[in-house]
This record gives sequence, structure tokens and C-alpha cells, in this order.
Amino acid sequence: MSRDVASLVDTLAEIVGPGHVRTALPERVTYAKDGLPTHRRVPGVVVLPGSRDEVIAVVRLLGALGMPFVPRGAGTGLSGGALADGDAVLIVLTRLNRILKIDARNRLAVVEPGVVNIRLSAAAAPHGLQYTPDPSSQTACTIGGNVAENAGGPHCLKYGVTATHVLALEVALADGRVVELGSPGGEPWGPDLVGLFVGSEGNFGVATRITVRLLPVARAVRTLLADFTSLRTAGEAVSAVIASGIVPAALEMMDQSCIRAVEDSVYAAGYPRDAAAVLLAELDGGHEVAVAADAETIESVLRAHGARSVRVAADAQERERLWLGRKKAFGAMGRLSRDLVVQDAVVPRSTLPDVLETIARIAAEYGLTVSNVFHAGDGNLHPNISFDGRTPGLRERVEAASAEIMATCIAAGGTITGEHGIGLDKLRYMPLLFDGDSLAAMRAVRRVWDPDERVNPGKVVPVHACREWAGTRNAERGTRNARGNARSDFRVATSGLDT
Amino acid sequence: MTDRGGFAALDPCVHCGFCLQACPTFLATGDEADSPRGRIELMRALEAGELAPDDPTLALHLDRCLGCRGCEPVCPSGVGYGRGLATARALITARRGVPPLARLALGAMTGAGVSRVVYALARALRTTGIPRWLAGWGRFRFAMGMLAATKPVRNAKSAMRNRGSPVNSAFRTPHSALTPVSLFRGCVMDGLFSHVHDATIRTLEVNGYSVREVPEQVCCGALHEHAGLEPDARRLARLNIAVFGDGDEPIVVNSAGCGAMLKEYGHLLDGDGAPFAARVRDVTELLAARGPRPGAPIDATVAYDPPCHLLHAQRIAEPPERVLGAIPVLRLVKTPDAAQCCGSAGLFTLLEPAMSRAVLAPKLETLAEARPQVVATGNPGCLMQLGAGLAAAGIRAVARHPVELLDESYAAAGYYA
Repeated sequence: MSRDVASLVDTLAEIVGPGHVRTALPERVTYAKDGLPTHRRVPGVVVLPGSRDEVIAVVRLLGALGMPFVPRGAGTGLSGGALADGDAVLIVLTRLNRILKIDARNRLAVVEPGVVNIRLSAAAAPHGLQYTPDPSSQTACTIGGNVAENAGGPHCLKYGVTATHVLALEVALADGRVVELGSPGGEPWGPDLVGLFVGSEGNFGVATRITVRLLPVARAVRTLLADFTSLRTAGEAVSAVIASGIVPAALEMMDQSCIRAVEDSVYAAGYPRDAAAVLLAELDGGHEVAVAADAETIESVLRAHGARSVRVAADAQERERLWLGRKKAFGAMGRLSRDLVVQDAVVPRSTLPDVLETIARIAAEYGLTVSNVFHAGDGNLHPNISFDGRTPGLRERVEAASAEIMATCIAAGGTITGEHGIGLDKLRYMPLLFDGDSLAAMRAVRRVWDPDERVNPGKVVPVHACREWAGTRNAERGTRNARGNARSDFRVATSGLDT
Repeated sequence: MTDRGGFAALDPCVHCGFCLQACPTFLATGDEADSPRGRIELMRALEAGELAPDDPTLALHLDRCLGCRGCEPVCPSGVGYGRGLATARALITARRGVPPLARLALGAMTGAGVSRVVYALARALRTTGIPRWLAGWGRFRFAMGMLAATKPVRNAKSAMRNRGSPVNSAFRTPHSALTPVSLFRGCVMDGLFSHVHDATIRTLEVNGYSVREVPEQVCCGALHEHAGLEPDARRLARLNIAVFGDGDEPIVVNSAGCGAMLKEYGHLLDGDGAPFAARVRDVTELLAARGPRPGAPIDATVAYDPPCHLLHAQRIAEPPERVLGAIPVLRLVKTPDAAQCCGSAGLFTLLEPAMSRAVLAPKLETLAEARPQVVATGNPGCLMQLGAGLAAAGIRAVARHPVELLDESYAAAGYYA
């Protein structure tokens, strides 16, 4: 450890206590990955502050030293977004896990960033309220991470993603100054800074306090499980459901490979193993009769569009089982092979049947197993590629297939992420979607918040591909960008520990 | 490929993190290195040779694992965390040896000759009532609380003074219809909880089993395996398999930790122990299979706290509740964090007192709110940890084995002569 690092560690320890600074290699190694373990970076120092004041003090210190840092929640993200390089400090926010206030009358909660998503809903439940965005990792992921990624979830089809539910934020900027964004009481005057911050992937600062909207728990709910003998039919049924004019609370699809992985796990939900795909549709509302009528309509739409059978969850237990199976599906992929890459892309809903077929063709061409589990109602795809990374050359094949899937989605009029973010993993696809000017504009916005680009450096905007732009200095590591719609040559860095 | 031991069981981990909130030590520290996912990274690095088995930080975080296996039943991919941990601990122990305190405790609690003297002295001390009086926080006073928690609860209504009191002829199953089972006695259970063995025998007899003693049996080896002493655990396993003999007579055990270990003999001995392991039953499994027969009412509020090695390792959830459900009037309360580890974890409570108490603390808070008179749990370590914790926190409740309560109910019902 160099003298600089040693003195940094001492000062950090003074702020957070010596037990909450991690410098030993084995400890740093445990923070080298998030939920997309194909990326691996070992942070220089890990610090676990225990309070808002400690976070601010740590950020201020790092600002004074000009050191880069990365905020991290539970590390369940799926784009390599919460990884820090050896020259950066990783600020882990799991200890900031207090729910500061539940204001049932005004239907809002104030939380620290490390509060686990599902714990907020559990705390709101006695008031008949819930925090609605429900990412599949909600039993583990933090609200702070949800804000950074603008997380989605099955029920965001009807209720909107995280951005819809964040009312106000307290943010520690890169230099440790604290700003208040938004207002719990309603829309403030001026630009929507909360909207800008939510989904900024840790590039704009660290949220230290988050005020979120709570919604009443629906009084009436119907959950339907429809199964199909072809993926195409299931995809077509999705469009038919939406075209019916009823907005389901959720509309999810799982294909056969995924169904079988779940059915082999402790979360087996009774999905038919021989189905090519299942659709999980949920209707909810304030009145039994109305929801029941909607459910009947959707059931007949599903049957008319090729559903082999439609099962309606008989009670809350069955509904919960159906949902647990869906939400734990990603984790169950480990049953197929030891390595996994999950992709995230959005396509226009009407193109789902074609895109799913193309993905299957790409998988067959590359000789890979691709399982699909995704938010069908939003056209938000999650192809999961299972592989054994020990097989020579396979990682490259997986990368190539991923790139081809992404190109397919873009060609269909879609985009490269629905909810997992760009992070490290999608940097290379950004130039496929945005020209140099657009990327430079994004970078310019980022530099308003973080002029030195010290917070979560190297993520989201591929600096190499930015066009030099009025008002933007070239960053040290940026080069003058190539002309036109250049492909990024941004390489995914691997550490010496990569396997 | 070379023999990877339990490490192969870690292969399905895809780093989803769904285990994090099920891990008591992660909840206590918020540190990935104290989480199942982080420890799997450490074990993988250990297997790959990127980290050495004598790396002190690696050992620190693997030592701080309770081995409660609360991560296993929530894992969608079915990662065999416990198996990986056993292999990792064996590698670490092979390099650094067993820490002196662990070595001492292991000898005192499981050593064939020594432990008999230790338990006799402990029982003598327990009789004086001094441990109850000294019970509190701090290493020594907590240990006193643990010892005090082993003292049998005397109840005026029960006829438990006569040890093997035979079942009243009116309630006896005809001898020919009895199902024979063999009792596994264990070390701590036999040394400090022989009253639970008595209750086990009596309640099983009321439910149509006859209990056979197997005199030559030895320690199950669980504490040795936790300490990384796999060769010792294997030696003990072979001895037990030999003395329990062939046949398919069930082997009944009332300690969740022993039961989980006995059921692992198949893996421990690469398949050789599988027939033995298949015979092992927790006492609540056998009782629940027969109902069990209802007893007389007990007017008490009981919080059931499932031992990790029963709920997570053996996946036995319902049978203990059926046993308590056979007692009329008894009110079973469920605390929200009942399924979480109490921090006992074998020698853990002695070796890692700070983490152990940190894990226990939230449980005591919810128990203080639920205000039960009895906390029921089926494992000696948990009985002692919870008993000591309740005493130290000033919560007026005692920790008892579910079978003790059923036994008391049966005694009051007049099932015993």
C-alpha cells in the first residue's frame, strides 16, 4: 500500500470507524462483481459508511483529494454499473438501511439509499400502502440502486418505473456539497432535476435521502397464467392483450427453457413444463366486480389468440407462488450452466414475435442456450445466455451473439436497455444508437453535476465516441472522436483475477 | 478434472444476490465479504489458488459464517453452500490447524472420557443455581446463562421425576404393533439435556414407537466438521455406522445439528454412509407421522424458533408445529424473524461472541415484543443461546425443546403410569 493510500485509509477510518474500511484483497475481491459477473473489477478501497453524515464526509474527503469513487447498493445490478477500478474508492451504502418516515396520509416515505426494496413495501403494508416498482431482485436490491438505474419491474407496466415514484432527493455531489432536488409536496418550479437524476447510474452524485410515493395496495387482484405451444403465438397474444384497451398491472413472458429451470427450483410454481411459453397477466383495481370483468375479457383474448389453457390463481398463496417463480427465474438460470449473461433490450411490442424468432435463430447459429424471461407488455426483453466459461472460445461466441441480438433489437426500432442501464456492459452499443453529438450532449449534462467525471467514472457514455462539442472540454482520456457513427472500440477491461 | 470436493456444489451460483437478505451476518454488517455470495467468491478464489488457505482475511470471513445455511433454501439455483463451506474449512484447517479455544471446547464437549467429567461438573454447578444468578452479557456471564438454560423445568403436574416412567397401560400400544427405533444420544444432548431424551422416549412410546438404546455410539462429528476436521468427522461417522448396524430401523435424533450431520453421512463418506443417512429422522418427524396423539391442555404462549439445521439443512418446517399443535390451548405465536439464525451455530457462540450476539440481538427484540412464556426450539445450541439471551435481556421466557412440552402435556393427561 502506498503512503497516499495508507493516509486515505486512515482518514476514511476516522470518518466511518476502522471496522468499516476494507483494504485486504480478499475483501475487495468480494466487491469485484455485480449481478452480471462477466465483468470483474477489484476496487482499490471499500468503505461502508453508516450514516448520511458519514457519506457526505467521505465524499467531501474524496473530492478534496480528487479521487474517483463509485456508489454501490446491494450489487444486484446487471450492467457492471457498480464496479470500481483499482484507483477508485467503492462507497457501499448497505448500512444506510433506515426507513426514516412513512407518511401514510400524504402517501410518501423517506428512506436512506440502502433500504431494501421489499422492506419498504413491508413497512408500508400496515397502512394499506406499498412501494410499487418491483424489480425481480426486490428481495435484495436497494432503493438507492433502484434510483440510480431507474429500475423497472413487472408492475411498472401499469404504474410506471422508478422515476414515476421518486418525489424528492437529497444528493451529495461529487465535491461533497449537498443539494435538495424536487419536493415531496408536488412538482417544483424549473427543470425536472429529479427526473434527470433518476437513472443517472451513479454518474451525478450519491443520493443520501430519497422521498418516494406510496400507492394503495390494490383491493382486487386477478392473476392469470396462460400457456402457449409456440413462442410466436405467445408474442402475438401480448399485442392482442394490449390492443384490448385494458392495461394489465403486469404482463410477463417466460419461455420453455426458463420455465423448466424454475420448475426444477424451490420456487417451482406449477408452470406447464411442456409449454413453449407462458404469459403471466395480472389485473388489479379498486373493485372486485370490475377487475373480475377485466380478467374475463383478458382470458377470452388469450384463448382467442392461441392460449392452450388459462389458469386463474385461486388465492393469494397461488398468486404469490406464480410471481415468485417469475421473479426468481433469473437466479434459477444457474441450473442450466455455470455462467450466465443476461441481456436487456426494448423493442416495439408489435415486433416481439419476429424478434423472438430472430433471437432463437441467433442462438442456434452460435450453438448457445438462450432463455427468455421478460416484461412482455413493455416489449422489454431479457435474453439469458447460459454457457460454461471454461470452454475455450465460448466467451467470445457469447459476446458476439449478444452483440447480434442487440443489433436485431435496434434494427427493429428498439433500444439497448429497458431497466438494467448501460454501466460497463452496454457502453459498446451506445454508438450504435446515438451519434457523436448526442453522446457529447449527454456528457456535457453529466459534467454539470460532476465536472471532473470522478463519480462512477468510465460508465454510461463512451467518451471515445463523443464528438467534440461546444461547451465541453475534452476529458484527459477522451480522444477526438472519429467521424460519423463510429463503433466504439471501448474494451471491456478484465482484471488479472478474471477467470 | 481432479476431485473438487464440495466446491463443485458452488458452480450453479450466478451471483444474483437473492441470498443476501437471508444471511444473518450480512444483515449484521452489510458487508459483501460477510454474505453467502461474497463467501462463495472467496471459496472460488481459494479453489483457484488465487487466495491462500492461510490468508487471515479469507479465514476471518469464512470463520464468521454461522454455517446456518439460511442461504440455501432461498437459492433459485440450488447452490450447495454448506458443502462448499465444509471443503473450504477443511483446507483452511489443514494449513493453520484448529484455534486453541476451539480445540479446547471440542475436547471438553465431545471427547469420550473428558466430556463425561466436564458434563458432570457442569450439572453439579447447574444444580447450585449459581449460573442462573450470574446469567447476563459478557463472555463469562453469557456462558453461565447458557448452562442455566440447560436445567430442566420442573412442573408440579408432570410425573417426570421417574425417568423412564412406563406408559400407562390404558394408553399403551400392544407390543407387537410398536415400531422399533434407535435413539441417537449425541454429546451435549446426553450430557446436559438427558431430560429431553427421557421426554423423547416417553412421547414416542405414547405414539406407538419403541425406543432402543445403542450403547457404543459416538459423537456425530458435526462440531469437528464445522472446525474443518473432516478426517475426524469421517472417523466418527464410520464408528456410528458400525454400531447402529444394518437394517432399516429409523434412527431418531432430537438435536437438529446432529440430525443434519447424520443425514450428511452419505456425502461425507462418498456414498458409503447413504443407507445410514436415509434412516435418520428428527423426533418431530416421527411424532408428526402419527399425529401426534393430543395431550392435556397447557395454558401458555409459545414462540417456535426453528433451528437452522432443522429448517434450512433438513428442510423440516411443519412437523415441530404439528407437535406443538397437539397440545390443546397452547398458543403458538410466530415472530417475523423466527427463521433467522439465533447466532448459536455450534462453537460459534464461544469463538465469535461479538458476531454471535449481533445476530441474536434482533431476535431478542422481536421476542420481547411477542412476549411468549416459552421459546421452543429443537437443538441444544439454540436452547442454550436463546435461554442465555432471554435471561441477559431480562425477558421472562424460558427456552425448551418442543418434545418437552408435549411430554408435559402427556404427563398431565395421565398417559404415564
